[in-house]
Amino acid sequence: MGLSSFSSVLLVLAALQGPGTRLTYRVRVIQPVAGAQRILASGAVSGPIDSDMRLTLRTDTAEVEALFQVTAVGDTVSLGGEFFTRRRVGQSRRGLPIWEEDNYRRLIQVTWSDTARAYPFGSATKPGALWVELVLEREFAGGEARPGESFDLADSTLDFRLEAVVRPRRARVILNLVRGDTVSAPRPIDLVPEQPPRVVQLVLRGRATTLFVGLTRPEPARSPRDRGLGREADIVCLRVAAAAALPGQTLGTICGRLNNIARQLPLPTGDTLTATFSWPGPR
Amino acid sequence: MADTHEQWLAQIDAELDGELPLAERAALAKHLATCSHCAGARASHLEVRVALARSAGNPHAFVVPRPSIRGGTLALWVALALAGGLIGGWFASQRWGGPGGGSALEETRGTIVVQ
Repeated sequence: MGLSSFSSVLLVLAALQGPGTRLTYRVRVIQPVAGAQRILASGAVSGPIDSDMRLTLRTDTAEVEALFQVTAVGDTVSLGGEFFTRRRVGQSRRGLPIWEEDNYRRLIQVTWSDTARAYPFGSATKPGALWVELVLEREFAGGEARPGESFDLADSTLDFRLEAVVRPRRARVILNLVRGDTVSAPRPIDLVPEQPPRVVQLVLRGRATTLFVGLTRPEPARSPRDRGLGREADIVCLRVAAAAALPGQTLGTICGRLNNIARQLPLPTGDTLTATFSWPGPR
Repeated sequence: MADTHEQWLAQIDAELDGELPLAERAALAKHLATCSHCAGARASHLEVRVALARSAGNPHAFVVPRPSIRGGTLALWVALALAGGLIGGWFASQRWGGPGGGSALEETRGTIVVQ
């Protein structure tokens, strides 16, 4: 294999790994008013190239939750949207609201410079129907895997939310051992899901505790809606096993989102293991 | 007002045919309460009518004959009533029909277009 071929392979591998390219969804919610366009909300979601975006729009009579996904092939982008909608269609005889639920998928081909327009409540031809303007951008960045979200709401009557849906390739786990009012020194560790477990030693009051820890993905969500909207995307599970344990024997599993919240697992020794999941730093 | 037995018997026939006005039925009932001859004649008339109805194949015959409806006429009215109900139901369903009616499902769904 020549040097140039080797370099090409490296470049392709680097491109496939993704974090070198950062994807940004720029969103504006627009309502036409008397010939003009009124911006009700705007925002942006960014993350690695395989990031998805969850958009939530609620009014008094309709709710739309959509997961937008991007598949880039050269300069062409397939923009897909999985829509979950609820529309208020009337009242029951007892005066309670009746909602109609619907679920469908939309897919279009765009280029990076295009502006896509999504009509979440249907009827693109209906006057006054609001739309979501969507612009996709990509930029080359370092190994930043942490998603970014920002939005600005101009009309407070509209419930609007933008969330990045990113499946972490690795996660930073900070482990502590707690006994009574004593806490061991934090032991940060970067773990990759579905990789072989690693050995961790935590020392508390001079006593060392050795554990095998490995990161796994959680079971898929039971509800099709939660699965379709990728609600479990940033959840990881830490499987903890004793050093002398047989394969498959675990002390327990701690699951959580990458949100810097400590989660606890009581150990047979009487100590408590706390694990805090967070997004890893750039590298 | 009847005075003779023949006239009272004619009144009894008319009463059993269901053709006697209310005032005359009241007068007849008053007369039957005091005249055993007329009361017996009325019972006899009733027995004859019941016997005739039974011999005609109607064991639960009413003494007072009712207008009969022919099978074809009845079927026609039933068909007309059903058709009217169906048309009325279809119209009400179109006009006020259940929640969510009106536009086609695809029109209520979102779309994505490229500008």
